[in-house]
Amino acid sequence: MLKKEQNDYLTQTGPGTPMGNLFRCYWMPVLLSEELPEPDCPPVRVKILSERLIAFRDTEGRLGLIDEFCAHRGPSLWFGRNEECGLRCPYHGWKFDVTGQCVDVPSEPAESGYAKKIKLKSYPLIEKGGVIWTYMGDPEKQPPAPEFEFCSVPLNQTFSSKRLQECNWLQAMEGGIDSSHVSFLHRGDLNNDPLFKGAAGNKYNLGDMKPVFEVVESSGGLLIGARRNAEDDQYYWRITPWVMPCYTGVPPRGDHPLHGHFWVPIDDHNCWAWSYDYHPTRALTDSEVAAMRDGKGVHVKYVPGTYIPLANKTNDYLMDRAAQKAGKTFSGIEGIGMQDASLQESMGPICDRTKENLVGTDNGIIMARHRLLRAAKALAEKGTTPPGVDVEHQKVRQAALLLKRDVQYKDGAKEALIAKKGVRQTSV
Amino acid sequence: MLSESERMASAHELTFRIKDPNSKPRSIAVIALDKASAAIVDQISHEQWRGAHFFTSLSFSTDKQPAEGQSQAMQAWLNDLAGRALNLVAEVEKSDFVVVITAAGEDARAVSVIADACAMFHKSLLGLVIPQDDTSDKDIDISLGHLRPHSRMLVVAHGIDYIEVMLTALRA
Ligand code: FES
Ligand SMILES: [Fe+2]
Repeated sequence: MLKKEQNDYLTQTGPGTPMGNLFRCYWMPVLLSEELPEPDCPPVRVKILSERLIAFRDTEGRLGLIDEFCAHRGPSLWFGRNEECGLRCPYHGWKFDVTGQCVDVPSEPAESGYAKKIKLKSYPLIEKGGVIWTYMGDPEKQPPAPEFEFCSVPLNQTFSSKRLQECNWLQAMEGGIDSSHVSFLHRGDLNNDPLFKGAAGNKYNLGDMKPVFEVVESSGGLLIGARRNAEDDQYYWRITPWVMPCYTGVPPRGDHPLHGHFWVPIDDHNCWAWSYDYHPTRALTDSEVAAMRDGKGVHVKYVPGTYIPLANKTNDYLMDRAAQKAGKTFSGIEGIGMQDASLQESMGPICDRTKENLVGTDNGIIMARHRLLRAAKALAEKGTTPPGVDVEHQKVRQAALLLKRDVQYKDGAKEALIAKKGVRQTSV
Repeated sequence: MLSESERMASAHELTFRIKDPNSKPRSIAVIALDKASAAIVDQISHEQWRGAHFFTSLSFSTDKQPAEGQSQAMQAWLNDLAGRALNLVAEVEKSDFVVVITAAGEDARAVSVIADACAMFHKSLLGLVIPQDDTSDKDIDISLGHLRPHSRMLVVAHGIDYIEVMLTALRA
């Protein structure tokens, strides 16, 4: 349970809110590179942390993220002409560059310098790992580019997708921290999904439905270990890292690519669920990429031409009661992404946490909320840089491994939890 | 036409949610396993709690040894802040779940007796390890080693504010 004030504090991320200020300390994924594929391509509307913006790639390939609305009389620059190093409003021809600077006001003589006095708010964009990232905070405090492993390996080793999720970011992210739901909600998928099946570890997941959990603070967030019994006096450990504020890693299976998520607020009632898949030491195979594009694993099938999931609330998520009854899927919804999203959206736009009844195994979620609240307060009161901004905090890896029962996972898995260039993941 | 899921997920529909409570108050036994954590438990107990019962130590009756195959739990007493000694088994039976707290590196082996009592009534045991100012990784390992065989959930939490947050989240 959370008090209403705390729930409001954690779920509101618009300009000027404490959590909004916290999010504005980090680089956040904002678009896939494929959305701005080439110079002078169509501009794309972006809404992030409750701010309406427009992104474009100019003639020289430079990226810009600026206020969506023309400074003259306010129409959306989505209608703009992206040409000759700027975005030109089609109404009266005012033109803006990637920094939001107005560079042309056709009705005024160029010599008057009028255009120089007009500037739209803008944020920097960088491109890394097939993802375009923005930083919306104090320019003086702009951190170095993100170094999460999924965006640092060569492009042929990584694949990212995003899907619209129509609920607050926190209830979406909490699903990524809560390892205890996997044995139920996703149990039908372990042996069927091409991106999960065949791993030796799967049998422990399905064989021991009562995992035991350990939650430990890490420098950037949390490590959540789930332990199941295995043969020969061993435990099968699955370790989920969370890096503040909204990065989660799913423990791997066999040699399948590693996957996980970023949960980025669009506004307080919507978020982008980003899903990545990468392999630390090899290129993704054609069949793996085909499966990802086809919505397998943590990815989803889309309504064509959009990033809206094909199974969504307008079609009751394609609920299949026969599959539910037969145990083919546990909830009747296909695909793990929508199994999670369907339930999280049904909580309502912002989950009412005053009514929840948590149990001991929810401690990962309790601790994550506590760390977010603590970091947002420290930032507001003392200007303390929050955990996860330091790129060293980002170099963590999810792991799945067998350890002797008397070995502590913090020691036994120490190396496994560090992202090291050229070193294969630890996975069974 | 809107699908049912779409209509029902709206903010407007939130206003029609049932307002009645969906749970009854719960009782949680919070037990310190060592002197350092006893001081922490003492401090937390001064907050307002509905269903949390705080115990600062565990002791054993010395008049008779447990019978062959019988757990020491039968002879164990929990000492509360008012100076009373209450029967461990009876307290565990009354509780919905049990939280044990140890300061990192301290001797927390008494947990096995509490775990026996929990097992008798199928209650979950949740273990909290609190690092102290001079705690090393080794100390945390010692505590985890003591608690791990007995806990459904183990948490290493810096600062006593986390215990309060956790008990509040659990509606203690
Ligand atoms: S409204 Fe855009 S140029 Fe006038
Ligand atoms: Fe899930």
